[in-house]
Amino acid sequence: MDHPSWLGRALGALAGLVLFVGMYLGLVLAPPDAVQGQVQRIMYLHVPSIVTAYLAFTVTCVASVLYLWKRELAYDAVAVSSAEIGVVLTGITLATGCIWGKATWGVWWTWDARLTLTAILFTIYVGYLMLRAFAEEPQAAARYGAVLAILGFLDIPMNHMAVQWWRTLHQPSSILRPGGPSMDPVMLGTLVVNLAGLVLLYTYLLLKRIRLERTRHRAVALRLQRGRRG
Amino acid sequence: MGSWGFIALAYGVATIALAGYLILLGRRLREAGEELTALEREGERKRR
Repeated sequence: MDHPSWLGRALGALAGLVLFVGMYLGLVLAPPDAVQGQVQRIMYLHVPSIVTAYLAFTVTCVASVLYLWKRELAYDAVAVSSAEIGVVLTGITLATGCIWGKATWGVWWTWDARLTLTAILFTIYVGYLMLRAFAEEPQAAARYGAVLAILGFLDIPMNHMAVQWWRTLHQPSSILRPGGPSMDPVMLGTLVVNLAGLVLLYTYLLLKRIRLERTRHRAVALRLQRGRRG
Repeated sequence: MGSWGFIALAYGVATIALAGYLILLGRRLREAGEELTALEREGERKRR
């Protein structure tokens, strides 16, 4: 997973550039919504955040399955790194959702199925990170974490389907819906650019976070080696 | 608060969260690197 430093810097710069263009499109160029008006522009931040968080937790789930199968800490490094970024992105989703809710519904929070399942998703993966922090051995942390990550992933399809399964205050899907997207092409394009920017930023952060995990593993291995000798 | 106030709040919160995480990650990476270097140096010294 080692990569040249220029690649990381180039990825970071590209992510910054795409996010800046996305912000310009979202705040200036895209038209205001016919019903919600200007405040609907929060969507260009809120939707890409949760979609990228779903991606992050999917990577965590796949890496956790691979860890349980192969028992190699390299897979666990990917799992924990991706989960940590997913938690940050879910936190942003919840915060921007509360702000958007206050502006449109008049309340910061309501126990709606979609909102509640997103809060549960956030809590599961915060719990995952805490569980790992309390485990003493890296292998034990990886094993317990992998099981929780796989179980926690089940929340994602439920969260996505919540607006169809239950009567919710949250609006139904505008993109992944039967009959295709129901959005203005300029709005859809703006959303795609913002999503691309956030996915690039996620990839940049993931590479950096994996490097941290590998450095920690090397330090733990050195300490264990020394403990055996001493 | 008007519409643009809510928009500024949402973008502000997200920017602080992402920038904060990026800065914190860089600091953790630097500290872990320093710790590893110290461990490696100590190991070399003991071997000599």
